[in-house]
Amino acid sequence: MKTVALSLFLFIQISVLANDAKYKEQMAKQIQIVYQAETIEELQPAVNALDRIASAEKTKWEPYYYSAFGSLMMATHSTEAAKKDGYLDAAMAAIENAKKINANESELIALEGFVYMIRVTVDPATRGQQYSSLAFQTYNKALNMNPENPRALSLLAQMQLGTARFFGASTEEACGTAKKALEKFDTFKSENPLAPVWGKGMTQGLLKNCK
Amino acid sequence: MKILAALILVSSCAFAQTKVSGVVKDTQGEAVIGANVMIKDSYDGTSSDAEGKFSFKTDEKGEQILVATFVGYKAYSQAIALEGKDVVVNIVLEEEANVLDGVTISAGSFTAGEEKRRTVLKPLDIAMTAGATADIAGALNTLPGTQKVGESGRLFVRGGDGNETRTFIDGMVVLDAYGAAAPNTPSRGRFMPFMFKGTSFSTGGYSAEYGQAISSALVLNSKDKAESNQTDIGILSVGADVAHTQVWKRSSLSGKIQYTDIRPYFGLIDQRIDWITPPQALEGSAAYRTQVGKEGMLKLYGNFNRSSMQLYNHDILDPAKKQSYDLTNTYHYGNASYLQPLNENWNIRGGFSYTYNENAILLDGKPIGERESGTHTKVVSEYAANENLEWRMGGEVIQRNYEAYQLNTTTQESQKVFFHEVISSGFTEAQVLLHTKFITKAGGRFEHNSLTNAVSVDPRLSVAYKPGKKGQFAFAYGMFRQSPKNQYVRLNPALQSEKAEHFILNYQVITDRKAFRVEVYYKQYNNLVKFVNGNANNLNNAGNGYARGVELFWRDSETIKNVDYWLSYSYLDTERDYINYPAAAVPTFASKHNFSAVYKHFISALKTQVGATYSYSSGRPYTNPNNTQFNSDRTPDYHDLSVNFAYLPKPNLIIYFSCTNLLNNDNIFGYQYSDTPANDGLYKSRAIQQPANQFVFLGVFITLSKNKSVNQLPNL
Repeated sequence: MKTVALSLFLFIQISVLANDAKYKEQMAKQIQIVYQAETIEELQPAVNALDRIASAEKTKWEPYYYSAFGSLMMATHSTEAAKKDGYLDAAMAAIENAKKINANESELIALEGFVYMIRVTVDPATRGQQYSSLAFQTYNKALNMNPENPRALSLLAQMQLGTARFFGASTEEACGTAKKALEKFDTFKSENPLAPVWGKGMTQGLLKNCK
Repeated sequence: MKILAALILVSSCAFAQTKVSGVVKDTQGEAVIGANVMIKDSYDGTSSDAEGKFSFKTDEKGEQILVATFVGYKAYSQAIALEGKDVVVNIVLEEEANVLDGVTISAGSFTAGEEKRRTVLKPLDIAMTAGATADIAGALNTLPGTQKVGESGRLFVRGGDGNETRTFIDGMVVLDAYGAAAPNTPSRGRFMPFMFKGTSFSTGGYSAEYGQAISSALVLNSKDKAESNQTDIGILSVGADVAHTQVWKRSSLSGKIQYTDIRPYFGLIDQRIDWITPPQALEGSAAYRTQVGKEGMLKLYGNFNRSSMQLYNHDILDPAKKQSYDLTNTYHYGNASYLQPLNENWNIRGGFSYTYNENAILLDGKPIGERESGTHTKVVSEYAANENLEWRMGGEVIQRNYEAYQLNTTTQESQKVFFHEVISSGFTEAQVLLHTKFITKAGGRFEHNSLTNAVSVDPRLSVAYKPGKKGQFAFAYGMFRQSPKNQYVRLNPALQSEKAEHFILNYQVITDRKAFRVEVYYKQYNNLVKFVNGNANNLNNAGNGYARGVELFWRDSETIKNVDYWLSYSYLDTERDYINYPAAAVPTFASKHNFSAVYKHFISALKTQVGATYSYSSGRPYTNPNNTQFNSDRTPDYHDLSVNFAYLPKPNLIIYFSCTNLLNNDNIFGYQYSDTPANDGLYKSRAIQQPANQFVFLGVFITLSKNKSVNQLPNL
């Protein structure tokens, strides 16, 4: 009996370990792709794979996060308004699923703001007002959850820069936020090995607009 | 131990794998590339390739569910048995009904809102149309199906009178949607466009949910919970307003106070009206929204308005003879609506609205006036079986109390006439979508009127067919009825409802930034109020009429950068034999040709949005008593070129300027004639015109909020 129990216990343990290793390996592979892919054709299979991981790993928010990030990237690569919205809907759905698992993750909220920001670009004249104000708010919400989140800061800086440019106003505020974001990129360390790390290059790009 | 573990590991890997393969296609047989095919709740799966093919191996065993998903398509699932034998599945993905390119009910309606959909109009368009001066009806008057009736300001649709268009807010009826105005001067809508997230303007063939309107339904959907605290201040050439919005986690409250005083403005610009006291108004409104439970939403809205004006009416034959006219209008409107999803398939919504409107007039000091109060109660349940079948039914009660009074100068007693009307109705409607190409909505409306004790059932039908990616054909039919105007019902409460039957054919092509639409219609009027032998005190329902026409609409915001324009043209052929008409004739509010061109250009370098609207209407009929034929004379054509500028020097500051009738045309809407002939035997006329040819408006709008980029642009 003892051996049976022991072997059963070990079997479960090993399966869990094996699964965890599989999870990390799979995640690492797909995260790599969503970070580097430059076409919808490359992104779609990675997003699909992340969705599959999400469906198997019911307690992890990260697969949904990267699936949403991948969908968002597809939206930015797409040229058709209808398709962009479709990808953004998919991103939003994944974010909502992730929020059900971890409601207090600043990274998820920052990504949600990013979705709103891209919604604006689909039809700025009509959506500017509603979605840019939503984006601002959501970034601030993400920063309230974690003031150290460099991505939330960088995205906020982008919004501030866009607004300042549109009105021909001073970019001082935007540049300040972007600088702060860049500092946080160097100091911010998450204990989660799968935590997002993107955005530094984008911030450096933003800072080129600042003297 | 280690050996045991290794053994277990080996054995767990040694389970036989099953190969799952096949192809993913859409309903048209085209390969779907990049679809996600997977075993539910597992890692195992793959994406379909460029030919739609997929193949993967899985360790899962036994009965499992194969799932396939792709953006814009409905999820596919299928039970499969994994027993080591190859499994081949051919998957057909169905397009999601709600995607942008889907077929939609389109005949007769213009929808602004749902910014994700391709619509002909966006909510902001209503606010930013030159010449509309932020009046909803003013903006909609640039769309086909409407006629310019400059002295009224209301929406006259397809040969219908102004009262044949009914306004609904969040599904609840508004009894008097227009502000008070002096005789023959245009009135403005009581509700500001900024309150609404969506507008659906239907020029015919609308849903069974809307009753008591025989020509048109203007359905306004108010905004949901506000997202940020802000204070708006407006300093206008004709008054001032201040608004504040406070947001909590689950609710928001907005309030606005507005004071309008045209006196300083009229001091500068000559008016055709002999004002004693030009119009002034104090208006307040408040909106409260709160989430109830997980998904319920309660919306409350209230509005009060008090306005007054005094002027002299001059006699046509002897202009020195004048009569003073003093009008005070008091208006309250309250509206509550509630939406509660019950589960995935069922929704229930309900609402209540209350309107009170009083026009107190003093004619040379003699009181004469009218009061109307009414309530509307409604409950609707909606059932969505899936994307292909939706069904709803509801019941409502509209009750109105009307009273008109005047002082009898001989007895010094106040004479009153009144009526109390209760309309109870029920409606049901089903919407069926077939193959994403063909949609149909059919239903009916039952009504009982307490005054006439009449019971009616009116059918409604809409179908649309979209053969390809872009163009869509649509047809709508419906029977519509509404109670006659108060001024007739008060004389004869037994009058039947007036009726109209609509037939509409429509073709439209809408892409992201272009829209083309053509519509033809025929409308038959019956049961119109008629004066028996020309006697205005003896009324029956013997009147009738028809209207038919062709309408074109073109919009393009793509071809020229930063420029958005639309053109609309309406041809109208209508005659009616009603009220005092001796025979069928073109009614005085109808013009054969109506054309509008709206142009908007954002100049980034100047941070300015420039807008211009040109409107044209061919002459309208009027009766010249010096000419024996009824309604046979025509006014000159109507032309108007209006412009507006919105300058945004700072994110939260807008300077707004608008001017109507830039070319200073002397537009004439009709003629009034003296009651008796002058000494030469001829009746003398006076033209009905705008109080001033032009209206110039200047405003400064400031928004104070934490988020400095918010401004009042959408409110203007």
